Amino acid sequence: MIKEIIDNLRDRQTVFYALLFGPVLLPLLLGGSIILSLKQLSIDFDKVQSLAVVNAEDAPNLMEFLYSNNIDIEAAPENPEKAVRDGDVPLVLKVMPGFNDAIRAAKPAPITLLINEGDKTSAKQSRRIRTLLQGYERTINALRLQHRGINPDIFNSLEITTEDTSLDGAGGQLLASLLPFLLIISMVMGGFYLAIDTTAGERERQSLEPLLGLPLKRQSLVLGKFGATMCFVGLSGILTALSVFVLFQFFPTDIIGGGLNFDAATITKAFLVASPLVAFISAVLITVSAFTRSSKEAQTYLGVLMAIPMAPFFILQFISIRSEIFTMPVPMLSQYQLLERIVLADETPALFVILSVLGTLFCAALLLALAIKLYSRDRILM
Amino acid sequence: MIEAIDLKKSFAKPGAGKKEQPVMAVSNVSFKAADGQVTGLLGPNGAGKSTTLRMLATLIKPDEGTASIDGFDVANDVLAVRQQLGFMPHNAGIYPRLTARENIHYYAKLCGLSRQDAKQRVNALLDQLDMHGFADRRSAGFSQGQRTKVALARALVHRPQTLMLDEPTNGLDVMATRGLRDIIRELAKQGHCVLFSSHIMQEVSALCDHIAIISDGRIAIADSLEGIKQRTNEDDLEDAFVRAIGETP
Repeated sequence: MIKEIIDNLRDRQTVFYALLFGPVLLPLLLGGSIILSLKQLSIDFDKVQSLAVVNAEDAPNLMEFLYSNNIDIEAAPENPEKAVRDGDVPLVLKVMPGFNDAIRAAKPAPITLLINEGDKTSAKQSRRIRTLLQGYERTINALRLQHRGINPDIFNSLEITTEDTSLDGAGGQLLASLLPFLLIISMVMGGFYLAIDTTAGERERQSLEPLLGLPLKRQSLVLGKFGATMCFVGLSGILTALSVFVLFQFFPTDIIGGGLNFDAATITKAFLVASPLVAFISAVLITVSAFTRSSKEAQTYLGVLMAIPMAPFFILQFISIRSEIFTMPVPMLSQYQLLERIVLADETPALFVILSVLGTLFCAALLLALAIKLYSRDRILM
Repeated sequence: MIEAIDLKKSFAKPGAGKKEQPVMAVSNVSFKAADGQVTGLLGPNGAGKSTTLRMLATLIKPDEGTASIDGFDVANDVLAVRQQLGFMPHNAGIYPRLTARENIHYYAKLCGLSRQDAKQRVNALLDQLDMHGFADRRSAGFSQGQRTKVALARALVHRPQTLMLDEPTNGLDVMATRGLRDIIRELAKQGHCVLFSSHIMQEVSALCDHIAIISDGRIAIADSLEGIKQRTNEDDLEDAFVRAIGETP
């Protein structure tokens, strides 16, 4: 087993996938892009934003209103349409001729907002400006009605209040499922090359034959390979948990919602709940590569198998499968559900955890028994 | 001491359906190899040499017949047989990312030697096979001769009484072959039973005390070099071989 570790530590490919790709690159890629997209989606009304305006002097009250809402008014460029299309300025507000007259005459006052929907910044800023303009419109409306002796509330036939009862925001659910996803993928990636190398690769290098001739039981041999794979899988898991922890320190909490927990205790708990997967994933890798004749074949099969750990992630995005007693003994699925609960700080019943651990370990043991059986066949050498 | 009685083994053709007749690799192999002697298993390519050795090494199970290594049955006493046996397969199969020393040491540990014992044993083998020049280099760039030495050292690491070498001189140059021959003779002199498979006549006649000629999965003749020459009425081993496998020289 120690030999397998030394051997594979000298193999750059294995090390890259075990120690770098899963634990570091993957969380950065996924987490980073999610942070960015969340930042783009959320609007910070306190932040000062500048807005290019054509004919600002025709609508001093509106400009005053915008300014009091943290919008700095700038002069618009020469050709506002082109500037917006080229992205020189995110958007331009055009106060149309006759704006002031229309306001005074209590008519709809023409105003144009030039935006570029293809540009995320422009789209985001335009939403903020449009919200402000609607606010301004409501104020004007109310003033006009009051002026004519009508209670403005007469136009408010409904008082709509929306209350988001989920503890996490919309992005929270996605972020919560990110942790199990990253953990599982990087565990699989971490053990992937070692498992192939120690089984199919061993056969390819023809070093399996002398190995099997040694005074050793086949079980010890399989268990040794299993142990080495577990080390790499476990290491990948720990490193991923660490890097997710570090990554989430950079997450602004107001963006991800208050209900999410990525502190050290949570990550540790999540890793412990996921740890039976180390055995399960290693057993899957060992068994599948015992079936195959060459590394290439093993890579093909395991490549297809990689879809399985991803499946719960994508399925749970679309269909919500409630965590129930009968989903708990299912490896992978149960860990997804439990880890999500942990990160969302929902309660995790002890029974669920026990069932998940037992179910996963049972499946791992079954697979290992199968691997030992495969190694005892004549065909292992052919 | 190796004793094989009526070994039979057939394989399903790769990719063939269940209805197709399996290929008979070994149909009737019986021979003995005594301690203190070098026994040659001589036969053309595809005669069943490797299959026979693999059955003796407990890597595959014989369909019929029995065999024993130092009195332990290859079918029932698998671990005892492996303990008695040092097997060097057709391909060296050493780990390219490990050094020669690590390759041998790994096998020593797998065979249950203690750390101290393993270290001593590895050093003794490095001495015996004159491997100190390349002991601590990674084996990826080794020559065929160096690779064979590592594989041989690995096969000897648990001090087996019986040694089986599957075509060990394949790909070796003259000097390396001579060196290997000396080592094999020395091992026999120490009382080991050495079984040696080859398809090269000179190899076998230069080295072996006892020869079993295998052809088409059966032992055609088994005797000393002189005995074979006498029984086939040929002076030359090559002619004797051709006659023994049923052709006219």
